Amino acid sequence: MGLINTSRAKSPWVVHFDCGSCNGCDIEVLACLTPLYDVERFGILNIGNPKHADVLLVTGTVNPRNERVLRNVYEQMPEPKVVVAIGACACTGGIFSECYNVVQGADKVIPVDVYVPGCAARPEAIIDGVVLGLQKFQEKVAKMNSKAV
Amino acid sequence: MNTTLLVVLAIVLAPIIGGLLSGIDRKITARVQGRFGPPILQPFYDVFKLLGKERFFTNKVQIVYVITYLFFAMLSFVLFVLGQDLIAIIFVLTVGGGAVVMGALSVRSPYSQIGGQREILQMLAYDPLLLIAVVGMYVVTGSFKVSEIAAWQMTNATPLLYVLPLVFIVLVEVLTIKMRKSPFDISACHHGHQEIVRGVHTEFSGPYLALIEIAHWYELMLVLGFVGLFFASNLYIAAALIVAMFILEIIIDNTTARLTWRWMLKSAWGYGLILSVINILALQFIK
Amino acid sequence: MLNSLLMLDNSMLLFVLVALPFIAGFLCLALRNHSARAVVVVLTSVVLMIASVGLLLKGSFQYTMPEQWNEILTYLDFALLAYILFQAFYSRKFHAVYAYTTVILALISIAMVYYFDFFMAHGAKVDPTFWADQLSVIMVMIISIVGSLICIFGIPYMKDHEHHLHLSVTRQPRFFMYLVLFLGAMNGIVLANNLVWLLFFWEITTLCSFMLIGHDKTEIATVNGLRAICLNMLGGVGFTAGVMLLFNNTHSLSLIDIISGKIQHPLMILPLALMVFAGMTKAAQLPFQSWLLGAMVAPTPVSALLHSSTMVKAGVYLIVRLAPAYADTWLSVTVAVAGAITFVVTSALAVGQSNGKKVLAYSTIANLGLIVVCAGLNTPLAYAGAVILIIFHAVSKALLFLCVGTIEHGIGSRDIEDMHGLVDRMPLTAVISVIGMITMFLPPFGMLIGKWTAMEAAAMQPLLLFLLILGSAITIVFWLRWAGILLSTSSRPAPRVTEPLSILTKTPLVALAAAAIVLNVVVIQLYNKMIAPVATAYYTKAMAVFSANAAAPYGSLLTNLGASNFGSFTLYPLFGTIFVIILISVYAVRKADATHVVTAPYMCGEIGDNQEEQPRFRAIGDGWVEYKHSNYYMNNVFGEEVLTTGSNILAIVAILAMFYVSYLGLMR
Repeated sequence: MGLINTSRAKSPWVVHFDCGSCNGCDIEVLACLTPLYDVERFGILNIGNPKHADVLLVTGTVNPRNERVLRNVYEQMPEPKVVVAIGACACTGGIFSECYNVVQGADKVIPVDVYVPGCAARPEAIIDGVVLGLQKFQEKVAKMNSKAV
Repeated sequence: MNTTLLVVLAIVLAPIIGGLLSGIDRKITARVQGRFGPPILQPFYDVFKLLGKERFFTNKVQIVYVITYLFFAMLSFVLFVLGQDLIAIIFVLTVGGGAVVMGALSVRSPYSQIGGQREILQMLAYDPLLLIAVVGMYVVTGSFKVSEIAAWQMTNATPLLYVLPLVFIVLVEVLTIKMRKSPFDISACHHGHQEIVRGVHTEFSGPYLALIEIAHWYELMLVLGFVGLFFASNLYIAAALIVAMFILEIIIDNTTARLTWRWMLKSAWGYGLILSVINILALQFIK
Repeated sequence: MLNSLLMLDNSMLLFVLVALPFIAGFLCLALRNHSARAVVVVLTSVVLMIASVGLLLKGSFQYTMPEQWNEILTYLDFALLAYILFQAFYSRKFHAVYAYTTVILALISIAMVYYFDFFMAHGAKVDPTFWADQLSVIMVMIISIVGSLICIFGIPYMKDHEHHLHLSVTRQPRFFMYLVLFLGAMNGIVLANNLVWLLFFWEITTLCSFMLIGHDKTEIATVNGLRAICLNMLGGVGFTAGVMLLFNNTHSLSLIDIISGKIQHPLMILPLALMVFAGMTKAAQLPFQSWLLGAMVAPTPVSALLHSSTMVKAGVYLIVRLAPAYADTWLSVTVAVAGAITFVVTSALAVGQSNGKKVLAYSTIANLGLIVVCAGLNTPLAYAGAVILIIFHAVSKALLFLCVGTIEHGIGSRDIEDMHGLVDRMPLTAVISVIGMITMFLPPFGMLIGKWTAMEAAAMQPLLLFLLILGSAITIVFWLRWAGILLSTSSRPAPRVTEPLSILTKTPLVALAAAAIVLNVVVIQLYNKMIAPVATAYYTKAMAVFSANAAAPYGSLLTNLGASNFGSFTLYPLFGTIFVIILISVYAVRKADATHVVTAPYMCGEIGDNQEEQPRFRAIGDGWVEYKHSNYYMNNVFGEEVLTTGSNILAIVAILAMFYVSYLGLMR
């Protein structure tokens, strides 16, 4: 079990879901993959398939049209998994939060574990968010195990 | 007893070496791209993590296919280590590939279906090339058996590379396809790149994806062993040849872009076949 | 039981195997009652199967018919040819060219038979009339067991078939007459030693195929039937000419004499070429493939019978049977080349087809091509490969045809694209079909062992081997994708379906599927007991070289020919691995229910919460949109219109070359 837990922390594969962002945060997410930040150092891979992913990165304003998709993507990720909401919009709805068509944050739809603020969020912050998410992993695994027992 | 030991060693060591090679691959790739890259052990972290994930399936038959793939990949490598008939080994390899395809086709997802179809085309491209390389070996050594092909090179002190250079060049393409490298990573890419989501692997997840990865390591070892067989007269040079080939594949991977299946079939059935045939016919005439 | 079987004497056995089907056939014609006919067909089938086992226990035998039978046969021959002539003339309004060509060919045949029987070979004695060696026994087993199962399958199938056609008067009596009689004629072909008798049975199968293909009496059925009889009569004329020339050159009509090397006459080569040509027409080799493709308009039992155990097998039987006689000639080489062309081209053509029956048809022709290649390679190893291919192809292909027929009745289509997810709708048929497909192209199943044997046998001829490799790589494409989509299922647990299959449908399917698997387990014993003796018996020269030089260049299998294991092909590890896989899979699948989560396929975040089987995407306004996906058929590469003409020309050139080198009598 120890080996698997270590591996979990060392191999977080992320899937990125853009709920309707201005693309500011998305650019910054992709910037993490570039040689300057190179998140693959930590084993982070941007994988296009929720079924393979451990971490869900949500950017942009969630709205009634895409909350269903967000929930589905979340549900298609196998446990243990964490959700990182990136940017003001994903965290709270941001400057659009009062709009009639905006859900105030991804956490209204799915359980969010880490909030990365910013408009747009900086790559360093995003990396920090994912690393924080990995700590949440351990808690979740512990909870999963106690549930199983 | 010796055989048993060999089989156990092959089964245990192959994924370890294969995994390490994958790690080195990722590291070199990262360096080529000006990145620092993941640790060498990263593929093992990935696999262990996947083993601990929740088990998802879209239908139960998928499980059978994954198990079939793993065991047949294992078997093909074990047969190779035991020096068995190469044609039989390639047939066994086909079963593993076929199992993955059927697993992909068993799910009604457009991505997995297209991935499966493309994987079939990949098999169509590399299968004849591998078999024809074996024919070349037979024409030279008079045997289909790995052990006898190696023994022939030792006794005659002539590595196959000298007599089958064109066939060896064709093998580069086979390896590119089999290792899921650009420009022929059309059914699924070995790296994290996305193509039709995850192609033939889209619907396998968690522990099953881990088993597929382990099976892939066995296959990797088999094709590299095939490369080494071209210089079986000297094991050190054979190892060097394998390393050189491996690095060449990484360079090809990083300097080319993905092509369509038409290109793949054209180059495999065009250049690949013609080069192999020229080489083998030339041998016949020289004899 | 066994003892009483052994007690059967030769004439009795022959009567049961050859004459009984004829009697039963005419009985079928007379019986108007469906169940009475069913009883007759089932009983005949059972008796045939028992008799074939009796022959197996008995082993080889020889039997000479009383003298007067030769006279009777001559008149039967005339009657048969006249009937063919009449039938062709009668359907001339459907396709004048085929009909009149057939008429002319039949007239030529009659003239030839007349001249031959009354002037050339009048009163020629051939001893024995019938005989059996291991190859004949194997063929009789295939015909009597696989063929009988197909006949049984035909009983409920034809009832259903006529129900679909809304016929007022049933045409089944005639149908079953030809179907059952066919088996007798086939047994006659493989047991005959006297070539005149062989020719007689040969023409009977030609007539039967015409009547069976044209059974539905629609225009297309009749035209295709005419095409079949036209091409097969062409082969028949070739055969007759071959027999005449052979008698003229060697004064022998005995098959045993020809193949046992008793006659070493170089002038034997041209007659042999003519007979091989006849075999090629019957085995639908390029450029004669069109009749077998046309044969799929017939009801499924007919296509199954024509494609698997009879008719086409008669063609390759003749080619393989005569093979030792033309060893070491250039005829042999050209035969191999013609077969290889057929193998590669028809495999490629199968890739371009979405019609399930057409895929099967092309695959049949391809495999027959492979068998012809083996005959042309003409070494003991290749011979063994040919026999292995004949056995396993008969079982698997019969199974597949019956499956496609069952599927067609179940879903109303024979298009592969309509078979997505068949396992949810027709679980038993789908699984059995997949068993049939897997046994066609994956190790450790017989077809692949045959292919592998062929490859090792061809090792000394790299160019031929290239063709074999290409063909066998292409084969994987169409089987794999077909098997894959048959088993594609929805993620939703499907309601348990039991197919409403008649016991007479289910029994042949299950029996053939079981045979396709069990035969593989005993393949080594089969090889040692049945195939190796016959493969070594007729190659005295090659075997002498072989025993003189143990490391002879005959491939590694021959090193073990007749030995206890199957050469270097490691079958047992394969079986072991499959066993382990089955054990682990059963355990894993059982456990899966408790520990696994079922998810829908990934559809970019859509989970089809509709109750349809097919997952869907959403478009503007949240409306569902269907997606379409299909197999890659690559018709611009593998299409019929792309490949057929060129390859036909190539094949014609190969056949002309075959005649030319035989005319010169070139030895290697």
